[in-house]
Amino acid sequence: MSAAAAREPLPVGLGRARWAPAAASVCGLLVLAATVEIVLDGAVEHSALIPKQPAIAGWLSGIGERLGYRVFLIALLVAVGAYAGVLWLVSRMGEGAMSKRFAIALIAVLHAVLFVGPVLISTDVFSYIAYARMGVEHGLNPYLHGPSAIPHDEVFRYVGHDWRRTPTAYGPLYTLLSYPLAPLGLRGALWAMKLEALLASIGTLVLVWRCALARGFEPMFALVAVALNPLYLIYGLGGSHNDLLMMLAMMGAVALMLAPRPTGRREAGAAAVIVAGALIKATVAVLLPFMVLARRRVAPVLGALAAIVAGALIAYAAFGSHGVDVVSALNRDAAFVSTDSFANEIAHLFGKPGVFPIDHDLLKVALVLIVAHLLWRTWRGYDWIAASGWSLLAISVTSTWLLAWYILWPLPLAVVSRDRRLLVATLAIQGLFVVHQISPLLVPVK
Amino acid sequence: MSARAGDTASPSRPEPWAWLPTRLRPREQQDHERQGRLWRVETAVLAIVFVLLATATVNDVVRQSHINERLIADLRSWRTYTHHDYKNVGVDVLTMGVTTKRDVVCGNTEPGPPNARTQICLVVTGPTVSGRRTVSGGWYLRPYTTDDVFAVRYGCFGSVTMGRCPR
Repeated sequence: MSAAAAREPLPVGLGRARWAPAAASVCGLLVLAATVEIVLDGAVEHSALIPKQPAIAGWLSGIGERLGYRVFLIALLVAVGAYAGVLWLVSRMGEGAMSKRFAIALIAVLHAVLFVGPVLISTDVFSYIAYARMGVEHGLNPYLHGPSAIPHDEVFRYVGHDWRRTPTAYGPLYTLLSYPLAPLGLRGALWAMKLEALLASIGTLVLVWRCALARGFEPMFALVAVALNPLYLIYGLGGSHNDLLMMLAMMGAVALMLAPRPTGRREAGAAAVIVAGALIKATVAVLLPFMVLARRRVAPVLGALAAIVAGALIAYAAFGSHGVDVVSALNRDAAFVSTDSFANEIAHLFGKPGVFPIDHDLLKVALVLIVAHLLWRTWRGYDWIAASGWSLLAISVTSTWLLAWYILWPLPLAVVSRDRRLLVATLAIQGLFVVHQISPLLVPVK
Repeated sequence: MSARAGDTASPSRPEPWAWLPTRLRPREQQDHERQGRLWRVETAVLAIVFVLLATATVNDVVRQSHINERLIADLRSWRTYTHHDYKNVGVDVLTMGVTTKRDVVCGNTEPGPPNARTQICLVVTGPTVSGRRTVSGGWYLRPYTTDDVFAVRYGCFGSVTMGRCPR
């Protein structure tokens, strides 16, 4: 069965199933209930899962109880199960399982709940604010200093301990975009960051819908596959990560390339948008060679070059040579090891205490081979969107520093790609990530 | 269902890659993924990689569960040794080496916010017996010490330290 055909709604068997819309609605509401539970409990006080933060969700704090691992993991597993149910039903019946109106209302409520709630899981958003305040309020270059250079600033106490001495690894465009938020104060900047993540998410979802339509896929399936994804909601949107902004740029470029009448200007624009995305978070740059190979025209190359030159000049003017040197920041971060990384898990499987420098080198070689294979496949007609998605998935799987929001990167591409295996693989990797979280549920430490 | 127009490059433009051998020439973007031999090989490799990752994940969950059981015994040992039933007691499995299974358990010596009082750190070793492990030594840390390193330890005691604070 071809990928496109496999993605079409298959009414046979479920076509007359009257229970299917009700079941899909229940599953969607379960995702909402799990999210509400995490947000309400997270609003009570900081726990190991909720970073220390200004009491922006204090008015919600009287409803729930302090969020512990047990409740969090049960809610996460419920959301994952319900998400799987929605996906299955919508993949079979399309809008017959869940109406467009209901899906949009559900997604809007989920976004609103996460917007008004506390920052979940990660301290990254406070690093974003700290780097902005360093540049605007303290006259420091965030590419040279970590937040420890501003210990008396009110944001400093909220920055993650591991990141206090670390200069920013984010792109200069993102740093400049965050600068206007610095004078808003800590709470104002935090709300602005949450709003930015919310708008980026909505924009990404709109583009996912449009791209699915452009490719002739069932847009409802593409929409719910991204918007109801528990990792997307709880980790990505809940943590107000700038990965959402990067994904917005990524899907903007894809939408331009899938436009009904491709023109040189559109293709150049798409390449420039990819470069802009890479100036937010460098990872998305991996799409560029696939886009160029698929089109084999000059326009995307020129568009990318123009954007690179403009971006480099702006970055140099704003931050000096350190603002341009994205590679060294990536190399620094690539040396980190997280407990959730597959490299670390495989090291444990083979009896090693962790990842060694040689393992980093082997993983880099593996990633280069995978990307080279995908480039060759794209040259020979393979879907460039799928190849880009596989590359992003390979980057996250081979990374020794794997975080939940990294395995979101390929998801919007997977739902509009012609290779169904990419979606299956992305969801399988996400499933393994969730499974890896459950040990506190099996043996709780008190 | 086929892709819409514009998704693929125009087939009518002149072929600039005709000088390449046929097998190396580029192809236009395909509307459907061909499920030939290469597709089957790729799928098999993906399945093998998934089995490896799934095995590693399950192995790590089991490993982490065993560590959690050890941590529970560590905390119980600290509370028994100090006669304090405090909630905020931290266990560090790294200081004495990951593979040694000698953990360092630190907590306040008197009631107060976490880390706001003088800390007593115990080195806990050996197998779990009756839900507890052996306290082989330890040291003290001043209030608000964030990094438990050699330079900030004092009052070291027990066989594991030999009266000297371990590096």
